[in-house]
Amino acid sequence: MISFRVDGRSGVPPYLQLVQQVRQALRMGVLDVGDQLPTVREVVAEVAVNPNTVLKAYRDLEREGLIEARSGQGTFVRRRPAGPPPTTHSRLGRSLARWVREAREAGLDDEAIESLLKVTLRAADQAAADFDEGIA
Amino acid sequence: MSWLVWRQYRASAAISAVFLAAFAALIVITGLRIAAQFHAAMGPCLAAHDCRWPADNLVLDGGPLGFLVEFTLAVPAVLGMFLGAPLVAREIETGTGQFAWTQSVTRRRWLAVKVGWLLLAALAWGGAVGALVTWWSGPKNAAYLNVFSPGTFDVQGIMPAAYSLFAMALGIAAGTLIRRVLPALGVTLFGYFGVRLIFMGWIRQHYMTPVTTIYSLAANPLPSGPFWELGQGFRGPNGPISMPNGDNIAIVGNGFPASAVPAACNTGPHHLENMLSCLSQHGYVQYLTYQPAYRYWPFQFIEAGIFVALAAALIAVTFAVINRRDA
Amino acid sequence: MNEETGGLAIETSGLTKRYRRAAALSECSVTVPVGRISALVGPNGAGKSTLLRLLTGLAWPTGGSAVVLGGTPRQDPAFLAEIGYLAQDVPLYGRLSAEDHVRAGARLNLRWDGAAARTRLRQLGIPLDRAVGTLSGGQRAQVGLSLALAKRPRLLLLDEPVAALDPLARRHFLSTLTSAVAESDGGLTVMLSSHLIADLERVCDHLILLAEARVQLCGDIEDLLAEHMVLVGPRKDTSAIERAHTIVHATKTPRQTTLVIRRGGPVIDPAYQAEDISLEDLVLAYMGAAAPAAYTHLSTVGEE
Repeated sequence: MISFRVDGRSGVPPYLQLVQQVRQALRMGVLDVGDQLPTVREVVAEVAVNPNTVLKAYRDLEREGLIEARSGQGTFVRRRPAGPPPTTHSRLGRSLARWVREAREAGLDDEAIESLLKVTLRAADQAAADFDEGIA
Repeated sequence: MSWLVWRQYRASAAISAVFLAAFAALIVITGLRIAAQFHAAMGPCLAAHDCRWPADNLVLDGGPLGFLVEFTLAVPAVLGMFLGAPLVAREIETGTGQFAWTQSVTRRRWLAVKVGWLLLAALAWGGAVGALVTWWSGPKNAAYLNVFSPGTFDVQGIMPAAYSLFAMALGIAAGTLIRRVLPALGVTLFGYFGVRLIFMGWIRQHYMTPVTTIYSLAANPLPSGPFWELGQGFRGPNGPISMPNGDNIAIVGNGFPASAVPAACNTGPHHLENMLSCLSQHGYVQYLTYQPAYRYWPFQFIEAGIFVALAAALIAVTFAVINRRDA
Repeated sequence: MNEETGGLAIETSGLTKRYRRAAALSECSVTVPVGRISALVGPNGAGKSTLLRLLTGLAWPTGGSAVVLGGTPRQDPAFLAEIGYLAQDVPLYGRLSAEDHVRAGARLNLRWDGAAARTRLRQLGIPLDRAVGTLSGGQRAQVGLSLALAKRPRLLLLDEPVAALDPLARRHFLSTLTSAVAESDGGLTVMLSSHLIADLERVCDHLILLAEARVQLCGDIEDLLAEHMVLVGPRKDTSAIERAHTIVHATKTPRQTTLVIRRGGPVIDPAYQAEDISLEDLVLAYMGAAAPAAYTHLSTVGEE
């Protein structure tokens, strides 16, 4: 069963955080197709958020086709978001954990790790764009 | 709602019950003692039906706690100050009114229940104290014939109950208008005693026109029963005789000033009887202005009625104001 | 369920409260739709408590009007039964226990769910038989909230309920509140005043901002955030921006100008970088704009 967290200071609207957490849970295999999502009341009781926030998040996910509401029974997962299966996520997660351990041992703090990640992502995007342009 | 009143006043009710019980015990103990003294001294003449009232030489000693009866003058004020004044003022001062007046009872209904119980309590406590003091005072009343005098009148009969109702209403009104407990307490204290003093000193004697009786100079003006003396003096053919100032004035007979004796009566042998009959022949009399004893109960009811009416007016003001002001 | 579904729980029009020396609330016109959890924010003395008390009928307006759940606030059991109020500092009868208060509530109210209140307090570990004056601030706040909810009101008005609570107590309080709203299926509207914007953003979907006794903002948070933007750019003449949009607040340093604007249309000035605004920054911008002169030095850092 998925467990939600809402960070009031993250700059991301609460409903979007819930949507992202459901998607991530689906990618990682925490939630499987056919699993039931917690009811609005259960989410609200666990995380003190506005019930409308939960309703909005579930509506967005339903529009994306990821979940569906079955009248009288609850809300259930319909399909996984596009992308590699949970096993791939887990494998990549494990190798990332190894890298982070190595980085920490080398003396990088969280801020340095995050900067490095951003720079690397940007460089990768740039390289992909260059590659596309090269082809075109 | 009455349950809440009980729950809130449980402690005060218990404390005042203890005080009342203690007071009652002391009253009964000293009262029995006074009664015993009375019967010991007056028993014989009572049996022979030839007692002379007032028995001025009789000493009825209530013991070291005799002052307790005078202290009961303060009972209504205490009730008004400590139960009446905080009723509304405390709710506003502490903010609990914001809880009480956002439940589903209107402020007026809330007030009606609380005021009802408090007035009932005032009546009960005042009435009980009054009854106890009246019983205790039995022998003294018979011996000294002083029930009608200011001070004694105020602590016996139905007066304590009426005063308690008034003081409670005054406290409640003060608390509602002033909205802070301590100032309301002060206003209740001074307001109560102020009104009482005014009535006792100036107004009470005029409930019915006082009776003025003329007596001959030789007589001893003494209306029957416990009358309330308001004034006495002498009159001559030219009007009232004023008493000269100073101590050690020479007097004749019952207090007639020697300086006012006309020349005609100053001749001849200075026997008192001759002097007095001479003065009488010249038209000198003495007078007594008083309220007769049979007016005692009418006066009790008139004053009680006035104080109950004042209480009702104060409660009406309270009800008018409670809805108009912010909580 | 009720005829106000989709209607307004609160509608005020020019609501004013004057005292001898000053106005505590001036020309306040706001609306709160049914089912919202509305945040009432503003500096101290801005009129938040006054507005809440006027809506409950504890205070009377000196001008304007208020329509609460379809009627004027009045001394009427039917109206009083529909509203729940929790005053600042949770004034309860200090010598009575929580159980006493629940029993009193049963006798003072038309609708009363004492069992739910007791269950909730027990679940939170709050003793029912101790005098409430001996409970901690957080526990008293929960007692107060449970008593207000036990009335099954349609409108809940809370005055700084979490101001004196530690983070855990705050979380429990807001959790109780949001659960009650969830269970009411849109039948319960809440207005709560607070300083803590982060809490408000997760719990509230409507905002009223008061400053200097006047309304500065009123609306659904989603809409308000969409209507406003932060523009950051080199210091320059802002008159072009001013023509198309409303500048709420400007911060100028020698190098840079930061503007909080209310959009009057699309923003197409390339010199400025446009960003979405957070709720906290939006509230601060409006409070800064309404602040007394003493604070303006904070918004003109390095001004020549």
